Amino acid sequence: MKSSDTTSPDGSNNETSNLEEPNAQQERFDMSVITDVPRWQRILKALDLPVQFLRIGLLVLIIWAWETRWIFKGWSPFGFELFPEIIPLFQGIPSEAGEFLLDIWDDSLFWSDFWVTLQEALLGFVLGSGLGFIVGLLLGSFRKVAKVLAPFLIFTNAVPKIALAPILILWYGVDIASKVALATIIVFFIVQIPVQAAVSGVDPDLDVVATSMGATQAQKFRFVVIPGILGPLFGALRLSAIYSILAVVLGEFIVSKRGLGQRLLSETNNFGMSNAIALITILAGLALAFNAIIGMMERRFLKWQDTEARGKVVSL
Amino acid sequence: MTNAVDIENVSLVFGGEGNNPVLAVDTINIAIPKGQFVAIVGPSGCGKTTVLNMLSGLIPPTAGSVKRNGKEVDGPSRDVGYMLARSALSPWRTALKNIEMGLQIHGVDKATRRARAHELISLLHLDGFENSYPSQLSQGMRQRVAIARTLAIEPDLWLMDEPFGALDAQTRIKVQGEFINLWERSGESSVIFVTHDLEEAVLLADRVIVMTARPGRIKSDTLIDLPRPRVIDELRFDEKFKDAEHRIWKELRDEII
Repeated sequence: MKSSDTTSPDGSNNETSNLEEPNAQQERFDMSVITDVPRWQRILKALDLPVQFLRIGLLVLIIWAWETRWIFKGWSPFGFELFPEIIPLFQGIPSEAGEFLLDIWDDSLFWSDFWVTLQEALLGFVLGSGLGFIVGLLLGSFRKVAKVLAPFLIFTNAVPKIALAPILILWYGVDIASKVALATIIVFFIVQIPVQAAVSGVDPDLDVVATSMGATQAQKFRFVVIPGILGPLFGALRLSAIYSILAVVLGEFIVSKRGLGQRLLSETNNFGMSNAIALITILAGLALAFNAIIGMMERRFLKWQDTEARGKVVSL
Repeated sequence: MTNAVDIENVSLVFGGEGNNPVLAVDTINIAIPKGQFVAIVGPSGCGKTTVLNMLSGLIPPTAGSVKRNGKEVDGPSRDVGYMLARSALSPWRTALKNIEMGLQIHGVDKATRRARAHELISLLHLDGFENSYPSQLSQGMRQRVAIARTLAIEPDLWLMDEPFGALDAQTRIKVQGEFINLWERSGESSVIFVTHDLEEAVLLADRVIVMTARPGRIKSDTLIDLPRPRVIDELRFDEKFKDAEHRIWKELRDEII
């Protein structure tokens, strides 16, 4: 007992220090393996070239099949006419659509149509999502009011909104107001319903904390509720952007004097199929631009979610 | 001198008329002089949190009176800091901005609240994480941010609801130490610290109140005569501490077992 008492502390201490320290030095992970990768290599990896090549290849294939009119041949497996054969009058091809796009580039009449549709869609989007946001926020926060209004809102939402278009045209006229009204109604519900639901999904603890700090109702909206619903709100806004364009094009189909939808309808009626395809591409481009702008705002406002997704957790 | 807190014959019933009313707190009396650190322990559901909710002005008592500094509580006050069991940080605010939240609600200007938040960041050893979001912080750090947010408004009454319950044993010892240091240097602040952990209660508090299982009544009220400032990571091995804990444990045991 005594001998081990005197020798072991010294002995084991020496042993451990001799063994562990050099080991710890040698086995340390060499971080330069990760940090010293050249910049161009990292960019190359991020680009993911095989995916890009496949995408371009697929695009070329689609345009080729279209341009050579292969897709218009039709396909009727087992005598069932799945894809009917398209007669030449109803065929439109990418090269002609491209020509049309070049032609209208300096056609002021086209740009005034473009402006009309853009204006209708933007106004419908702003009014519809603005109202939907405010109503959703209030109904989500004040349960009593929500309870009173619930059956009315459910019924109104159940109405196929497109069916209102002819009536709205009688009420608001054939100009942009009727299209804005239609887009507003459609967008309103797309935003109001998820916003209202999101308000009750906000962590109740945050509300308790704000209340105990003496926050007013307005401060609770500003510091707790609105930041808490931004995720679902932006999801709804992305959808609204696309639906506002859909709504105004539809409104223009019914009755209108100007607008891309009106132009599209008249091209189709005159069998200008390639031109119609070009106009549809422009409308899709418009929707994509809307979406991109909202995406940029989303990244700015939801920076914290981005970091959450990356899951960069640091320990104590 | 008026007491920091006077709870006189307070009872609280949850869910009235026909809703299966539950008597959560039954005729309790607690008087807390200014500057005292009081721990309330008791089994789950004994109404500990309810007492804090009444003191913070979130819910009114069904009967009796709750007073702060001699005045009836009639709603949330700027002089009360309330920390919930869950850290309840705003996920969209950085650590620094979370700490500033109470000051922002009180309308304190940006420069002042930023300075105050930075001060708490270094007191709670959060340096370097000012601009991290809660999701990027460990549980222990989140809890410290929540402490900092509670204390940023410089309350004279600190209501702490199991603030360290979610922490692992080692982190807890560390954060307890930081917390007691903050309180000891704060001077006249009174603390009501709710916990289910008797060791924690005896280590930190001047006085430990044991509550009974529902309906919550006061079972015992014991002064803890241990010197301050306390070095809590050493104190837990002290004989006097162990005696005090054992005495109160006998009271608490009847309520749990």
